[in-house]
Amino acid sequence: MLPAVLFMLVLIGYPLLYNIILSFQNVDLSNLAGGNREFVGFDNYRTVAEEDVFGISIHNTLIYTVGSVFFQVIIGFCLASFFSMKFKLAGFLRGIMMISWLIPMTVTALLFKFMMGSEEGILNQLLMALHFVEEPVGWLSSPNIALWSVIIANIWIGIPFNMLLLSTGLSSLPQDVYESASLDGANWWQKLVHITLPLLKPVIMVVLMLGFIYTFKVFDVVYVMTGGGPINSTEVLSTLAFRYSFSDFDFSLGAAVANVLFIILFVISLIYLRMIKKDEAI
Amino acid sequence: MSKRKSWVLSIVGIVIVTLFLFPVYWMVITAFKAQTEIFRTPPTLFPQNFQIDSFIAVMQGDVGQYFLNSVIIAGLATLVVLLLAVPSAYGLARFPIKGVSSMMLIFLVTQMLPATVVLTPLFIVFNNLGLLNTYAAPVLATATLGVPFSVLLLRTFFTGIPKELEEAASIDGCGRLRAFLQVIIPISLPSILVCGAISFFFAWGDLIFSITFNRDQELWPLTAGIFNAVGRYGIEWNNLMAFATISVLPVIIIFVLLQKHLVEGLVSGSVK
Repeated sequence: MLPAVLFMLVLIGYPLLYNIILSFQNVDLSNLAGGNREFVGFDNYRTVAEEDVFGISIHNTLIYTVGSVFFQVIIGFCLASFFSMKFKLAGFLRGIMMISWLIPMTVTALLFKFMMGSEEGILNQLLMALHFVEEPVGWLSSPNIALWSVIIANIWIGIPFNMLLLSTGLSSLPQDVYESASLDGANWWQKLVHITLPLLKPVIMVVLMLGFIYTFKVFDVVYVMTGGGPINSTEVLSTLAFRYSFSDFDFSLGAAVANVLFIILFVISLIYLRMIKKDEAI
Repeated sequence: MSKRKSWVLSIVGIVIVTLFLFPVYWMVITAFKAQTEIFRTPPTLFPQNFQIDSFIAVMQGDVGQYFLNSVIIAGLATLVVLLLAVPSAYGLARFPIKGVSSMMLIFLVTQMLPATVVLTPLFIVFNNLGLLNTYAAPVLATATLGVPFSVLLLRTFFTGIPKELEEAASIDGCGRLRAFLQVIIPISLPSILVCGAISFFFAWGDLIFSITFNRDQELWPLTAGIFNAVGRYGIEWNNLMAFATISVLPVIIIFVLLQKHLVEGLVSGSVK
């Protein structure tokens, strides 16, 4: 058995199965280290589903993911197109944008929390100076806005990575198609809609799927910026699972929520795998 | 492209990147401001009173220890990743192993797993093994982030190396192992460095594993320390931003040193 495979089976495969078992038991601090655990069937899932916060979390996770990925891909595509014009500093500038992706998410989350502060935050100061708003916006304190504030931070983190993948895709497109289109008098919009987007579709699909998978499981950004609040308005599945397990110490409830997260991601991953397998054998 | 157009585009590019990276600038510049200046209206784009008190303040706190912990955790995790991934990827690329494609599939899927799914079981397992409140817990857990990425990237790279290279080495009297160590490793060094750097970044950025497995603050990395400092420093944003700047610095230095390789490696390691 290869060492890396063994390592992953022990530290990921086994916990994955263990998590499924946990979700059908009643494990809290009292019987964590052993002791008798009861099989409780689907009780944990039922308990979780009956809580309002579960539905809210699924809803928030979906909005968070779709909102983040949508803007990341669009902005990433615009930037990739811009930097694909081979001007002097293109490669260098595109490279240093990666910094936003490199910074530990905890730090980024804290930084955005600072900038979005209602009194001292630079964002409100700027918006008020420009008279876009008259009153400070409660970016993270207002339940109606907080989710989008967290999404904004996440978009910022993800833009360079999307740009990078799309740039690679753009640079692999055949140039002669563009040349003959120019000869036929096509303008840039026609080239975009009739050549670039159709040719780039497989790459865009991969980027969308990867973005969905990596955003759907987000934890750090939300946990640091809002902790799921105010009044659950930014609670997502991963923060909810964490709260059940490590604030309430109801490990089985946490496991049940984590499994719901896992099942959704697993289905998406299968679709993704089918998609890339069509392109090439792994 | 005309020279003139190239310059115009370069300037537009600089403007875009400056706006995009403004938060990073704001982080660094706030760290050099005095407490009173942070709350000034309108805000100052450059510190009027440039001072390094914040850095001194956080260094006198626990930042030194947190920094050391981050280096230990991320460094050991990187080592674990490379020791596991390099030989395994080579094996998957060169030897007729049964079920190669299903193993690659396992790596691809594990790369997509949320930490939350394995968090509780690992907590229980580590608890039973007595690994909670040790460096081993976050090291092992964060290494699971780097291993799949590295195996996928390195296998692609190793597959691309012509077999003749090792065959030539064995004619010269090298054994299989020596050929691997003296021929394959040196020419793969850039790819191995990329895997090492990415694994280091993954581990450096971890928050959830450390705060879950280690309640002992002495073992916390910078991420856990800064998260906790929010409560301690309150609205002393200059101190927090100095803390943040120190946390980001090593990652940026590594990135600058390896930039070209990293950007290429990232694409091939995440898509395949």
